[in-house]
Amino acid sequence: MLKIDHLTKRYGETLAVNDLDFEVKPGVVTGFLGPNGSGKSTTMRVIIGLDRPSAGRATINGQTYDQLKAPLREVGALLDAKALDPSRSARNHLRALALANRIPVKRVDEVLEFVGVASVANKKVGGFSLGMSQRLGIAGALLGDPGILLFDEPVNGLDPEGIRWIRDFFRSLAKEGRTVFVSSHLMSEMAVSADQIIVIGRGKFITSGTVDDLTANATGTVYVRCADADRLAQALVAAHGVVEPVNDNGLSVSGLTSDQVGDAALAAGIAVHELTPQRASLEDVFMSLTADSLEYGHKDVGAMP
Amino acid sequence: MSASPTLVDTTRSEFLKFRTVRATFIGLATFVFLTIGLAVLITLVIKSNWSHRPITEKLAFDPVATSLVGVFFAEFAVGVMGARFITSEYASGAIRTTLAAVPRRVHLVLSKVIVLLAVFVVLSEAVVFVAFEVGQAIYKSGHLPTATLSDSTVLRAVIMSGVYLTLLTLIGFGLGLILRTTSVTISVYVTLLLIIPIIVNFLPSSWQDHITKYLPSNLGASMLSPTQSSNSFAWVAASVVLTLYTVAIITAGTVLLTRRDA
Repeated sequence: MLKIDHLTKRYGETLAVNDLDFEVKPGVVTGFLGPNGSGKSTTMRVIIGLDRPSAGRATINGQTYDQLKAPLREVGALLDAKALDPSRSARNHLRALALANRIPVKRVDEVLEFVGVASVANKKVGGFSLGMSQRLGIAGALLGDPGILLFDEPVNGLDPEGIRWIRDFFRSLAKEGRTVFVSSHLMSEMAVSADQIIVIGRGKFITSGTVDDLTANATGTVYVRCADADRLAQALVAAHGVVEPVNDNGLSVSGLTSDQVGDAALAAGIAVHELTPQRASLEDVFMSLTADSLEYGHKDVGAMP
Repeated sequence: MSASPTLVDTTRSEFLKFRTVRATFIGLATFVFLTIGLAVLITLVIKSNWSHRPITEKLAFDPVATSLVGVFFAEFAVGVMGARFITSEYASGAIRTTLAAVPRRVHLVLSKVIVLLAVFVVLSEAVVFVAFEVGQAIYKSGHLPTATLSDSTVLRAVIMSGVYLTLLTLIGFGLGLILRTTSVTISVYVTLLLIIPIIVNFLPSSWQDHITKYLPSNLGASMLSPTQSSNSFAWVAASVVLTLYTVAIITAGTVLLTRRDA
């Protein structure tokens, strides 16, 4: 069990993580979603003991990372695929990690084989592409056969085939009962690869749940098309809806259910040709949740003064 | 799975890291070449112009010190190797992978110190003994005065020059722990050994008498010297002071490592 316990981390004046408090459960893929600079990497760095928390802590089965006797056998992490000595071979890199945690050296060749870099195991890692380095990093994370796995933005640098491979791989790890915690700033990626999602912004917890939970609670819009869109728009505004014209005769309505839109049309005596509730996508939810917490928000492009 | 890892395991891991990069062997080759190569060069030069030397110079001739002169060049090679054993990890980011595997940072420092100590004690002693013997053989071939290891002060001088190089390797490592960047570490190391003695040279001589003997390079000279000169430490005291410097620098580096974010 991975537990983030009222974790706060400041770097000088910057508050990178602000009182995060959640648990990551085994057996499912948990997505850690937030815009760039929202504190995902910082949280991961604190979990594996690289950075000291300013307050609170992160625990692995009740212990902080630096209390673990053989950490690589309990937690496997891939935070930065390029964080290795470029002049050492892939095999020797993994052998050094194996020795330090008393992991049998034969395990090195097993994981190299598994991630598909066995053919270049004796090559210097400095010459590896980002994709190959990612695979080597995954091999390093799996080395100690740990129950908890952390991946920070793992799909960066992977080709589509690699992305598909890694999604299946996360699922299989979770199916084996492991805790799989994957960060991303891409909601589309999380929507397909994670079972459970934790959303943060500016270092603060925003929400968590399954993809369905997150989208169900969000108010969607209703698309309505009729002969006289202008008159219907007036009727809907009168019913406290927010109306946006979509095309010639169509309106996108928020703040009202499809039932309310239909009733309003009937009351106004307007024939409705199409009425479709539009479910919020995870992307919409994410945008609305984190809109206030973007570190570098996009300003609307207006007229130059 | 198997039992919990110990200091032995982390030391084996660090030793594997030490011997699996080419830079290690380039550094060691430079070290050996400087110490033995300069011994050959200097002793050959002395031998070739021996007959032209005035008698006073011949009487002051020190066959031990002249054969070990390479030590004061090799000290830069070993310092850089000690420093790079930690700063190269910061340069590549590998330090984060290392600390994830060995979160007990004091263990990490101990393991690295053990590796450097073991490698450099053995290698430094071997290299200085070879340099000494080669120098004496060259002197003997020219019928110059020679020294022998059966003389205990000579034996001591040769052994202590190996100890001096080992301590300087560790000082380089300790500075690397504190400063983290290779270039900055090497600058500070060179300043300590080369620049500060020059600056001290310009101070009033009454000040110099008090400061000079504490400089690492002067401590090294005292450790090798058969006799104690005025305004310098005896070899035992010099060894103790240099060891204290080494321990202090590595301790400071370890405290910083345990407090800093990686």
